[in-house]
Amino acid sequence: MLLQQLVNGLTLGAVYTLIALSFSLVMGILGVLNLAIAELFMLGGYFGFAAILAKLPLPVALLAGMAGAALVAAVIERVGYQPFRDAPVVTPMLSTLGFSIILQNVATNIWGSDPLQLPDEVFGARFTLGPVSASAMQLTIVGATVVLVALLAFVVQRTALGRALRAVAENRDVARLLGVSAGPLTLLAFMLSGALAGAAGVLIGLHYAAITPYIGVEIGLKAIAVMVVGGTGRIWGALIAGPLIGVAEVMTTAYGGSQIRDFVVYGLMIVILLLRPQGLLGGARTEQGPRV
Amino acid sequence: MKSGLSRALCVAGLGALLIATAGPGFAQQADREIVLGAIVPSSGPFAEWGRANTVTLQMIEKQINGGGGINGAKLRIAILDDATKPAQATNNLRKLAGDDKALAVAGPLTSSAAEVTFPVANEMKIVATSQASSKPGVAKLNRPWAFRNTIDEGVLGRTTVPYYKKSFNIKSVAIIFDAKDATAATVGSRIMPALMKENDIEVLNASDPLSFNTGDLDVSAQVTKMKALNPDGVVVSADYSQAVTVIREMKRQGMIKPVVGSTQLISSAILKAAPEIPIVAPATFYATMKGDKPEKFVNELQPLLRKTSGLPPEIEPSMYDANIYEIVSIYIDAIKATGVTGKPEDLETDRAKIRDYMAKLAGFPGLGGPIGFNDDGDAIKAFYILQGESGAWQSKVRGCSAAPGHPGC
Amino acid sequence: MMSTYYAGLLADVGILLLGALSVYIILATGQLSLGNAGFMGIGAYLTSYLTVTMGVPLTLALVIAAAASGAIGVIIGFPALRLRGIYLAMATLGFGEMVRSFFLNFDAMGGAGGFHGMRHVSLGYIWTWAAAILLLVAILEHSQIWLELRAVRDDETAAALVGLDTTTIKVGAFGFAAAVAAIAGGLFAHHHVYIEPGNFSFERSIDFVLAVILGGSTVGAGALVGALLLVMLPEHLRFLADWRFAVFGGLLIAMLLVRRQGILDRSLFRFFEFRRSA
Repeated sequence: MLLQQLVNGLTLGAVYTLIALSFSLVMGILGVLNLAIAELFMLGGYFGFAAILAKLPLPVALLAGMAGAALVAAVIERVGYQPFRDAPVVTPMLSTLGFSIILQNVATNIWGSDPLQLPDEVFGARFTLGPVSASAMQLTIVGATVVLVALLAFVVQRTALGRALRAVAENRDVARLLGVSAGPLTLLAFMLSGALAGAAGVLIGLHYAAITPYIGVEIGLKAIAVMVVGGTGRIWGALIAGPLIGVAEVMTTAYGGSQIRDFVVYGLMIVILLLRPQGLLGGARTEQGPRV
Repeated sequence: MKSGLSRALCVAGLGALLIATAGPGFAQQADREIVLGAIVPSSGPFAEWGRANTVTLQMIEKQINGGGGINGAKLRIAILDDATKPAQATNNLRKLAGDDKALAVAGPLTSSAAEVTFPVANEMKIVATSQASSKPGVAKLNRPWAFRNTIDEGVLGRTTVPYYKKSFNIKSVAIIFDAKDATAATVGSRIMPALMKENDIEVLNASDPLSFNTGDLDVSAQVTKMKALNPDGVVVSADYSQAVTVIREMKRQGMIKPVVGSTQLISSAILKAAPEIPIVAPATFYATMKGDKPEKFVNELQPLLRKTSGLPPEIEPSMYDANIYEIVSIYIDAIKATGVTGKPEDLETDRAKIRDYMAKLAGFPGLGGPIGFNDDGDAIKAFYILQGESGAWQSKVRGCSAAPGHPGC
Repeated sequence: MMSTYYAGLLADVGILLLGALSVYIILATGQLSLGNAGFMGIGAYLTSYLTVTMGVPLTLALVIAAAASGAIGVIIGFPALRLRGIYLAMATLGFGEMVRSFFLNFDAMGGAGGFHGMRHVSLGYIWTWAAAILLLVAILEHSQIWLELRAVRDDETAAALVGLDTTTIKVGAFGFAAAVAAIAGGLFAHHHVYIEPGNFSFERSIDFVLAVILGGSTVGAGALVGALLLVMLPEHLRFLADWRFAVFGGLLIAMLLVRRQGILDRSLFRFFEFRRSA
């Protein structure tokens, strides 16, 4: 059972990783908590469902979910972030909350509040190895997460674009002096973040095969905890923190009691914040945290 | 420049809104009106139920007025959305009772809303009858004005569990429940364990309750743990949309075991989750029910539901549509039978007449059989133990929520 | 005579005002709390326990709950000193979720099933508390303490250099805010006469912040305007039926775009003062 629970925890952790990265891209670079990410995740799920129901292959569905969520993220950036870029961070946080309310309502009106379900598991193949059994979709989730994180890390660490992003993250004014134009970059950061949330939505939607307009709410809060544990400044941090929290949750359920699970997760987050405010891998600059 | 324009647009939008809100609300009182109120969740996680309830209520209004109204007066049902928020439901009731002068109110739907709304009904001396709340004791705490056209889950379980035990030869179960949902948590942590004990069924995780939270996507750890216990069956105490998550996970992990639960499981959505897993749950109504009354109800309502935007094209009338239909029918019957005038000066006595009628009600012809109310304010009516298999609900046992021989059954 | 409907809405406004003030007090030191629903929950459960189980009169129960929650606020405030800005906000978010999770499992007071037995309080009683605390905050705003709070907000290092005890100020603000949120909770419990853990979720914490920011985060009276707006606006959007909350979200963004500093701010007050003296 232990091994099976590890598989469960890693799948959940991979999902957390993607959404946490989505939060941390905007948080690390712009210092903004985009509360609409939970709903971008939900939208990604619906877009992915629509694509699969239209008999499109999984990679196309994944791209559709990513593109759809990225587009909505772009709108959020233009209307909900750009006008507030020099306001205290609480203001853009609340404007993204406005988007979150709108997106939940719109999704309810389009797809209904009942869970939308795939007729049967589309990717139902299972692999069994001794006592452990994993579905094709679970392996896809873990694989896709690793690939997406690696891709993101490459972009941020190795390319000119990534350097510019990091420059803006470090100091917006200096970056401007160096000729980096921040406007298009923040748009890009939001869209990348949206694409990640969308990808997570597609993968999760297809794995659990039932989604509602409210699936983002709980998982979004958990992903914030994962982001904090991993540290907002390091991309690889989320890749460690996601599975860590995922496994911690699953193990609490398996060996402690499922009731205290949330207590454990948020407790862990607070402990990490107090002991290593920079996150497990470091990198965040809490000592000069942005003004609220 | 750009921000200047957007600001101007915003200001214009706000202005237009203020004008729009000021407009209605002064409907002229041409004819004599009988006003009833309803509280339904048309936004939020239960939006679909609230919207279907709304269509049902509008259908009744149209039918009654098409047939000449009530005692010559026009029926108006004022419907308010509580957004699945208990605080909004209380204010809805205050508005319906205080401003709209409703004679009685149907709703609210959830137990959390009923818990806070029923005390207001008592304070304002107006009957409120919930169409879905089944958390034990909610109406009982708020006598004499609170009623529920539902049966206490504890009563239903007494018939459900023995049937479940006999049909699937159940000797042991594992229980999983939604800890964040008050009804589901009460059923999962108190009622079901007690019923299992009564029926000599061992609860394998009695010392280690398994739960999840409303909105959780992943219940794989809980299901893996249940599977390791190898029970004969599984008790899923959760609202159907959450139960879908559990049942899907059971199927994914190859745990094909019969599921039993409360009325919260009844929906057509849950049957799609895993057709090979049998589901047993009690209900007072289901869309494929046989009989003149229920068939007529479904034939009339279903096309209306299906052409309403915001509702899925394959929707069927739910148990809660049937319940709210019965509630309003009972109110109308009360108005006709007790000489309610609907005049402003008689408001207090009219409301008391409806309450007294409700308290004494026995054998009202409901969709699934006669309806009355017990001393706790809960419905005495027929119920059915349904078994969901291969995508359809089948009725297996007919029960009644009262002592044998009671006229309500 | 006010309709009972408006009386009900105004009771909600009074409770939300207290919650918003609790966020406002912490915000005055430049810190954002996303977990004040946690303090509200502590206040609600503790007050209800005292009145229902121990038979303590409500006013005394509220004072005890406020003191206890204030003490918890101070205890939370110390470790919070290590954190700034959005990181502190996230730690408080975690705190709020932990409190909710605690009450969900606290079977002695009903757990998920909720807690009953409180006696309903009048609108006047709620507003006596709300007005008294609003007044207290207004008096504080014109005191030396507030200048010190703002000094800490504007530049903590400089504030420390000129000899201000920044630790006491920040921890004290946390404690005071926790006490105010607890009173909001106690009144909430005795207005609705039933509580369950779901009442004190992240959504509630966010509502408090929203009321402060929409109403104006630089003056205490802003919380009042914000609370009025948040309670009344959704009621007045009912004619939109299924699109009610989408439009509400849109208006929220629009209001932030038009007045990011909130409806009330200091310059607005100065403008009126100028007019009066002229």
